[in-house]
Amino acid sequence: MLPDYDSLAPATWAEALAALAAQPDVVPIAGGTNVVVGMRAGELRGRTLMDINRLPELHGIRVSDGHVVIGGGTTVAELLASPAITEHAYPLHQAAAAFANPLVRNRATIGGNLVDASPAADTYPPLLVLDAEVELVSLHGVRWLPLDQFVLGVNQTERRPEELLRSVRWPLAPERSAGLHHKLALRKGTACSVMSAAVRVDTDQLGRCTAARIALGAVAPRPIRAHEAEQSLVGESLTEVTIRRAAQLAGQACRPIDDVRSSAAYRRRVAEVVVRRLLTAVDLELKEGAQA
Amino acid sequence: MDVHLTINGEAWTLDVRAGELLLHALRRAGFYGVKHGCETGECGACAIILNHRLVNSCTMLAAQADGASIITIEGLAPDRPGARGWLDPIQQAFIDCGAIQCGYCTPAQILAAKALLRENSSPTEREVREALAGVICRCTGYVKPVQAVLRVAALLRGEPAPAFDETDDGTPALPFPSTGDLPEAEEPPAFTSSGAEPTPTAIRVDAPRLILAPPRPDTRVVNRPAIKVDAVKLAKGRPVFTDDLTLPGMLYGALLTSPQAHARIRTIDTAQARALPGVHAVLTYQDVPRVIYASGGQSYPNPPPYDQVSLDSKVRHVGDRVAAVAAESPEIAEEALGLIQVEYEPLPAVFDPLEAMQEGAPVIHDEPDAVGIHDAERNLVHDLHVAYGDVEQGLAEADLVVEREYRVHQVQQVHIEPHVCITWWDEDDRLVVRSSTQVPFHTRRMLAPLVQLPIRRIRVIKPRIGGGFGGKQEMVLEDLCAHLTLATGRPVRMEYTREQSFASARSRHPQILRYRVGANKDGTLTAVHLHIIADKGAYGPHGLTVQFVSGFRGLSTYRAPHLRFDCQVVYTNKPAPGAYRGYGAPQALFALESVMEETALALGFDPVEFKRRNWLREGDEITMAKAMGEGREGFQQFVRSSGLEQCVQQGAAIANWERRYDPNWRFDPARPHIRRGLGFAVAMHGSGIAGLDMGAASIKLNDDGSFNLTVGATDLGTGSDTILAQIAAEVLGVPTEDILVYSSDTDLTPFDKGAYASSTTYISGNAVFKAAQEVRQQIIQHAARHLFLDPDPQQMTLEGRQVWTHDGRSVPLDQVALHSLHQATQHQIMASASHMSYESPPPFSAQFAELEVDIQTGQVTVQRLVIAVDCGTAINPVTASGQVEGGVIQALGYTLCEEMAYDHAGRLLTTDLRSYRVFAADEVPEMPVILVQTYEPSGPYGAKAVGEIPKHGVAPAVASAIFHATGVRLRALPFTPERVWQRLQEAQIPGVSS
Ligand SMILES: Cc1cc2nc3c(=O)[nH]c(=O)nc-3n(C[C@H](O)[C@H](O)[C@H](O)COP(=O)(O)OP(=O)(O)OC[C@H]3O[C@@H](n4cnc5c(N)ncnc54)[C@H](O)[C@@H]3O)c2cc1C
Ligand code: FES
Ligand code: FES
Repeated sequence: MLPDYDSLAPATWAEALAALAAQPDVVPIAGGTNVVVGMRAGELRGRTLMDINRLPELHGIRVSDGHVVIGGGTTVAELLASPAITEHAYPLHQAAAAFANPLVRNRATIGGNLVDASPAADTYPPLLVLDAEVELVSLHGVRWLPLDQFVLGVNQTERRPEELLRSVRWPLAPERSAGLHHKLALRKGTACSVMSAAVRVDTDQLGRCTAARIALGAVAPRPIRAHEAEQSLVGESLTEVTIRRAAQLAGQACRPIDDVRSSAAYRRRVAEVVVRRLLTAVDLELKEGAQA
Repeated sequence: MDVHLTINGEAWTLDVRAGELLLHALRRAGFYGVKHGCETGECGACAIILNHRLVNSCTMLAAQADGASIITIEGLAPDRPGARGWLDPIQQAFIDCGAIQCGYCTPAQILAAKALLRENSSPTEREVREALAGVICRCTGYVKPVQAVLRVAALLRGEPAPAFDETDDGTPALPFPSTGDLPEAEEPPAFTSSGAEPTPTAIRVDAPRLILAPPRPDTRVVNRPAIKVDAVKLAKGRPVFTDDLTLPGMLYGALLTSPQAHARIRTIDTAQARALPGVHAVLTYQDVPRVIYASGGQSYPNPPPYDQVSLDSKVRHVGDRVAAVAAESPEIAEEALGLIQVEYEPLPAVFDPLEAMQEGAPVIHDEPDAVGIHDAERNLVHDLHVAYGDVEQGLAEADLVVEREYRVHQVQQVHIEPHVCITWWDEDDRLVVRSSTQVPFHTRRMLAPLVQLPIRRIRVIKPRIGGGFGGKQEMVLEDLCAHLTLATGRPVRMEYTREQSFASARSRHPQILRYRVGANKDGTLTAVHLHIIADKGAYGPHGLTVQFVSGFRGLSTYRAPHLRFDCQVVYTNKPAPGAYRGYGAPQALFALESVMEETALALGFDPVEFKRRNWLREGDEITMAKAMGEGREGFQQFVRSSGLEQCVQQGAAIANWERRYDPNWRFDPARPHIRRGLGFAVAMHGSGIAGLDMGAASIKLNDDGSFNLTVGATDLGTGSDTILAQIAAEVLGVPTEDILVYSSDTDLTPFDKGAYASSTTYISGNAVFKAAQEVRQQIIQHAARHLFLDPDPQQMTLEGRQVWTHDGRSVPLDQVALHSLHQATQHQIMASASHMSYESPPPFSAQFAELEVDIQTGQVTVQRLVIAVDCGTAINPVTASGQVEGGVIQALGYTLCEEMAYDHAGRLLTTDLRSYRVFAADEVPEMPVILVQTYEPSGPYGAKAVGEIPKHGVAPAVASAIFHATGVRLRALPFTPERVWQRLQEAQIPGVSS
């Protein structure tokens, strides 16, 4: 059934926040790639659709104060085209490149992806390894939350109904740090999307790992960090042995559900393989960086 | 609310509802070039350019477009007074390159190219593929669309485009190797294999390689590329599809489907739905006559069983029909569906054919009025046994018996245009059905009893069709739509959602296939036994004939003195499979080719050599043909033309088959988890159904020397209108554009059984040939008698729009036309002819697959699919190769990732194009096509069929390549990463679990 909806197109940021505060059933709509499809399937919680696309507060990619800051309304296509993202957030660039297709990328926003919080949402793993935080704004004020705390479960986040996700930021990576992302999906004649992962390793001058981040998508009800796996690398050099152990721990961190596409066992298995390959590639990149 | 926007440069104000999709608002405003195939953002058919960016118009609200600037296909080269039919260079390139098949995705693909070229004038092939990746095309396999974009980019940069050279008369021509000897095999010119990108300027010459074997008559139109006769209107996005029409007072139909897999409808209360303002009819089983029928579009009498009624008091699968509504808007219709209260009495359900055959299994068809079910108590629709010789004796005599079981799954046609029809009463109180159907004539005949009208009071019109692939060889909703028109007196439009296309329409039959093959050490076969258990789902359409084709094809490629086919076709509580391009052959040939390779290896033979020893050659009898017709006795058949050996040789050369024996190629130390493999399969099909299929054509001469050609054959995107026009043009000595083709309308065109069974070129083409011959005679007679005053028409010819005498005199056709119509022995030069054949000559193919297996994840990456096809003479090599490319990619989906999956309650889990994955432009492998042309004596200009043969070889060739790469034999489709990984695990391949 398709009930009829009301619509709002606030001209200013203040109007948008006021509308959210006044009416509990307002649904912000950015690209609409989740909201419109959900609306047609009768899955929408609210009945007033508020277009937030035109609010300038949600746009822009900038580097300042040692951080990259991007507006919540930044489209995936904009991420992909941004040299700043390629330079300072390569895993996010890779995730943007693997995201859906050009048509969807032209509409889909990062804010929508994060707030929708699908377990398979593609921008989560790279943003998790970048230590991203989200800025939530309402009439009551502004708060920043680390992304890991923001996301709770399937389509569930810490966002309160009256809040808008204004921006996402993350610190510039230190020297001798490298990160990569991989989505196991239907590409070049292979079969269907299974899971995704991002890793990032910071090292000291001796090549020892000072910090590691490993994040996985589509292997649990929410995108996760594999904390034990990360810990296992700290203080170690990346070797076949340490990489293998970390990958195993990452596989064990998965809490996948069986679904049409694949069984839990298989997802765990490929998570391990993908993390191992990513860590190996990161290691190579760090070594090449050290030589250069 | 009002939305102000600029569409194609003009200011528009649209009155929209808050929740209305931009897609719907645009179509409502008359921009029918904006198509729809899913409405969930997956297919890209609804693409528009919004503020210079390509977006889906179905995932945004009309309200969100306020103030925006939009370009639709209509805006690219708008038809203006004095400038109709001019084209944007991109449209021109799509037309020239044969990139348009059904044309349903074409507006979106052209807009995707437009958006790309605006930002990037020198795209690489990869960039083009990426840009087209959001627009799914089910017809082309993307080869020609990609080629079109690269070509237009080069032309726009001012570079020459070498792919199509102009011949003197301006028609594009493909490079032809000379007759006779085989050309040297070489890598295709500019198609890079993995790794290096082609330079942007290098346009791929991806024209099919044509190999002409025997000498053939010199032709001018036939056996040459011709622009598709419908290409311009499709490129321009003109309103040519069923749904591109809004009639005054038209209502919108919607279908309520069952959430239960098996249940009786205890009560059904429609009062609330009927009371909803704007609702004009609600129909349940209580409102329509109970007439038993079979929905498959097949010749009279339809094969049994007759086990359906328009609406029933029992549901047999999730997605089964429950009720139909007609209302003033789609939204009201949908709301009304929600107001229908149904109380179900759930019944035990069964989803596995082996369980369904067991004693005590739920009986799915317990209705007393069903006809032609073999044993309804055991859910056994058919129990088939056909023998040639004595298989047991043959097996007993064999040195070796190989027994194997294979499993094939359920897949869907996924034509991008959904099932859709519009019905209305015309001014003569006749029911008009405008439908996206492959079988207009069968539909008219089958519909009549259901709506209780005589056939003469029904007219079925087939406009352009957005793909069918067998899915539309079925009456899936015309009866309901017609009932709604009968109930309301109003025009009604009804369309399946994408979800209904999956759960309430048809699909391909899943099967369990058990082979027993007897062979001698010398590599000859002594016996082949095929036993199939087929899953018929909840209803019987095509169940008999699909399985017959499986048996026939599964026992035909190879010679053996003893053959037997046994088959049980079994009901289950799943959506009913029906016809899907290839019919029963892809299933059987996956198993047949696999078991032959396994037998060869067991005997210590090279599989190619073993198959070669046993495959049918010219002159051989197709022994099962007599015993196995279309669900009945057939006709004796011999192979009169075969290019199979050439196909294998040519394909092997292009596929670099000798790498198969190179260990260094198979294993790359730098990537220890990768194994490479090359695989091979052959296939054989038929051309139409022998002794049954009939097609007819009429041709008449117009005042200006042009001709109307009307055919019942239904071009569903394949290009059949074009090749039929080419055949007529060849006979009549005119260029193709002098033939005005119309197909098909039960009032205006002669009968044709419809587009299926690989029959149109061969059967309908012969009908056109005959009719054209007759018209040719009439022209010559008239010219001889009145214009040349020459009593001997014997040596006269038609060429270049002229009638010629042997001594070089000529008169133009328009003069003959005017003279015969207006001046002397006035009469209409015209003729009709029909054709039926007791033969069904087999096209052949050799398929090669090159792939990599990641043994740690089970991912199979197919890098190259080389196919060589013997389709007799290719009437139009561009459309023929387009058929092959599209078919190969559909077959790759069948092999790797397409699968209808269910939960424990029989609910389909794959109901959209995200969970049911169809290949996109950036995901397909390289795909060289070779047409090995033979001359089939019974075909028009030597032609055989090409539509289905490309569907057969991919799955077994990929299985063969995976075996070559890993040593593991996969016997169940599809080869998803997980399934491959599991099998590799079980086989304990070194390196698998590291
Ligand atoms: C065909 C298709 C393919 C897809 N493929 C992928 C894929 O590959 N990977 C992937 O991760 N996702 C994919 N998606 C899902 C979807 O496109 C993404 O989640 C996208 O990022 C959502 O962004 P949006 O702007 O369209 O969100 P919307 O639909 O506009 O909004 C999504 C949710 O976020 C809320 N919201 C949006 N912006 C804000 C904000 N600034 N503040 C507060 N709340 C906000 C909305 O109220 C809504 O609840 C796909 C979707 C489709 C239709
Ligand atoms: S209809 Fe919009 S993407 Fe399919
Ligand atoms: S031509 Fe692309 S879907 Fe038919």
